[in-house]
Amino acid sequence: MATSSTSSASTNSASTNSGSTNSSSAGRAASLWQRPWVRAAGWLLLLAVLVVLPLVMTEFVNQTLARIGVFSVAVLGLNVVMGYAGQVSLGQIFFLGVGAYVTAYGVSQEWNIVLVFVLACLLPAVAGLVVALAAARLGGLAIAMVTIALPIVGVPLAKRLSDYTGGSQGLSALFVEAPEGSGLYDDQWQLYVVLVIGGIVFLLTRNLVRGRYGRAFAIVKGNENVASSMGISPYRYKVLAFTVASLIGGVSGFLYMVVIQYTSPETMSFGHSIQLLAAMVIGGAASIVGSILGGAFYVLVPQLTNQVDASVTTLLQGVILLVVLFVLPGGLASLPRALTRGRRRSGAERGSAAPPTTPSSTPGSGTAAEEPETERQGHA
Amino acid sequence: MNRHSRSRRAVGIAVASALAVAVSGCGGDDAGRSGDAAEGAPSPGITDTTVSLGITTPLSGSTAGPGTCTVAGVTAYFGAKNAEGGIEFGDGKTRTVEIQALDDGYDPQKAKANYDQLKGDVFAMTAGLGTPTNRAWRDAAIADEVPQALIMTGDPIFSDTGESPWQLGFVPIYQNEGQAFGELLASSGQDLKVAILSQNDDYGDGYVEGFKSAVEGADNIAIVDELTYEATDTSVDAQITQLAASGADVIFNAMSLVPLVVSALQKAQQLNWKPSWFLPSNTSSPGAVLEPGGAAAFPGIYSVAFAKAPASPAFAQDEDVVAYLAALKQYGNYPDPPAFPHCQWSWMVGATLEQAFQNMGEPTRDSFMEALRNIEGFQAPLMLPGTSVDTTQDGQPAVSSVVVQKYNGRGYDTVETFE
Repeated sequence: MATSSTSSASTNSASTNSGSTNSSSAGRAASLWQRPWVRAAGWLLLLAVLVVLPLVMTEFVNQTLARIGVFSVAVLGLNVVMGYAGQVSLGQIFFLGVGAYVTAYGVSQEWNIVLVFVLACLLPAVAGLVVALAAARLGGLAIAMVTIALPIVGVPLAKRLSDYTGGSQGLSALFVEAPEGSGLYDDQWQLYVVLVIGGIVFLLTRNLVRGRYGRAFAIVKGNENVASSMGISPYRYKVLAFTVASLIGGVSGFLYMVVIQYTSPETMSFGHSIQLLAAMVIGGAASIVGSILGGAFYVLVPQLTNQVDASVTTLLQGVILLVVLFVLPGGLASLPRALTRGRRRSGAERGSAAPPTTPSSTPGSGTAAEEPETERQGHA
Repeated sequence: MNRHSRSRRAVGIAVASALAVAVSGCGGDDAGRSGDAAEGAPSPGITDTTVSLGITTPLSGSTAGPGTCTVAGVTAYFGAKNAEGGIEFGDGKTRTVEIQALDDGYDPQKAKANYDQLKGDVFAMTAGLGTPTNRAWRDAAIADEVPQALIMTGDPIFSDTGESPWQLGFVPIYQNEGQAFGELLASSGQDLKVAILSQNDDYGDGYVEGFKSAVEGADNIAIVDELTYEATDTSVDAQITQLAASGADVIFNAMSLVPLVVSALQKAQQLNWKPSWFLPSNTSSPGAVLEPGGAAAFPGIYSVAFAKAPASPAFAQDEDVVAYLAALKQYGNYPDPPAFPHCQWSWMVGATLEQAFQNMGEPTRDSFMEALRNIEGFQAPLMLPGTSVDTTQDGQPAVSSVVVQKYNGRGYDTVETFE
């Protein structure tokens, strides 16, 4: 992996070419962010907000935030396999469903909750591994074709295995209640559980995609032949990305049961997989912040459109989706970038800042090599 | 430039906080936690002049048709009542009824979100369609003590008072329908051979369970063959062929999928097997099922119903039907003739709720549930003779009585005997 740092820089700037064009202007904000005390203070502030938020918000806001957390994790999993490793997956909802069913079944059998959590992560991961071992061999879009089958198989499977899944009536599991004496309401406690588990998953995933594996994913996404020539097995990394995505899907399934407390075959319906995919694209592919924005989109837009007119929700959602894709093709995560670009463009019209606007689309420009993180992540 | 970016950030923060306020505004201004209200104090969603009801139901997606009906009927009913000045409640106050309906797209997760959003604002939830979408927030409704009243699902759990103290289903459970037909056969006095074909899930099982319980002691009924199919199957030709070989006089076909029923009717004709058919209420539509299936070739097609069909010429001058169709157009935001029976059912939900409102002594959810569970022998508008609302029987939905009907070539007629 000695060559990987330079090569990742080149693939990054090739894949997200908007990044290198504004790296100099974004650098101003970034340089402030680079100072350790600013960074530490920023994280502490975020942490403090997350700790205090559940205590001051209304029940409905807490529940909404918890739901956003659940689907952010699901979108994050999809981002690992699609955004970072470039493999189209239409089956993410299946792994969420498996995680949810494992959790519901485990709770109904009164297994230890830690064991339930581990199983809810492992079983989807194993299922994902088995599928990926076969699908990744086919290459190209075949993995998309195979993953389409997952929710299509999942729904009748959940109905058929009614001894374990409750059939079409589904399974309820109320198991995350605020501990006695904590003084917390259930919705606050559930939000904390989602924040802690989701936060850990986000941190681990962030480390994964920023490290050696993330660079390998990016090369596999950019060009499999180049990856092979550098000793990176596209097959292995595709399987790995898919398995990680399935595992994260399982975690989101566990959280789904924490928050929604009910699962049925409808949970796994194919349409939700497409909605997750749309949420990922709208949030921002290959972006950690984009996953959260995608989760927020998945949860908030139906609520918003319901407020406008409950009888045309799907229509309005389609309009919003198209508008976002037209205005921000890079997803909501690219909004700050788009804003700085717009500002610079207006500056250029006044003739004051012409030089920085020249796009340096040459691969491997100096800033890109130094800042692969900001390149890929935006300003998390 | 630095100042410029700071002001831009300030704008960003302002926008973000405005969004946050907007979002939290949806939740109402109190924290909305359950169990805070003092004993006897009015429950949320009810004032001295108004009461509000919440509905979460599919208004988009493949079940949007019936889902839209579940909102339209009850909205039309209370729209007409509000226009007359409102409803006099059991506590002597006259209130108008407001309805807040949200779309869940038949997604349990969204149904739960809608419930979370509505529960602080509405007095009771009602009329929503779907088994998974109602199950998704059943536990939460029990924990929050929010009525989930007169919902549209054949799932028996909602009618079990012990398991579901704050719930009550409206439409007959699957067992009721199967049982009604079984009783008709058992009382016919004829020796009949019955073949059973059912969907291999709780839907099919419910119908078969009801049917078998009705024919259990009857010596004249012999079940000669019993097969199942999967809800995902695209053909039941093999099952029909095998059942035809049994030479049964009657086929009890508990099938929820319209295309499969049509192909089953056609396949039996190809095999020149002409039994009488029983079809569930939701797959027995004359226009969508029986005509394409060539049902006139069979000696009899039987189904069950409890609502008058507004499209039927027999009810064209019916007082209930005329009032209903007018209100649906004027108040229900439903200008077309109703395409699904759910519109009629939802109208009856409105009438049943009115009964409960008239009998509740206090403006509380407790009092409402008590009144709701005490309606007996109520003949709601649009109900067929021989059926009524009875909420006093544990384990039964509000409407558990259905009448068997026979296809007459255009629509259905109620029959007393099996011919």
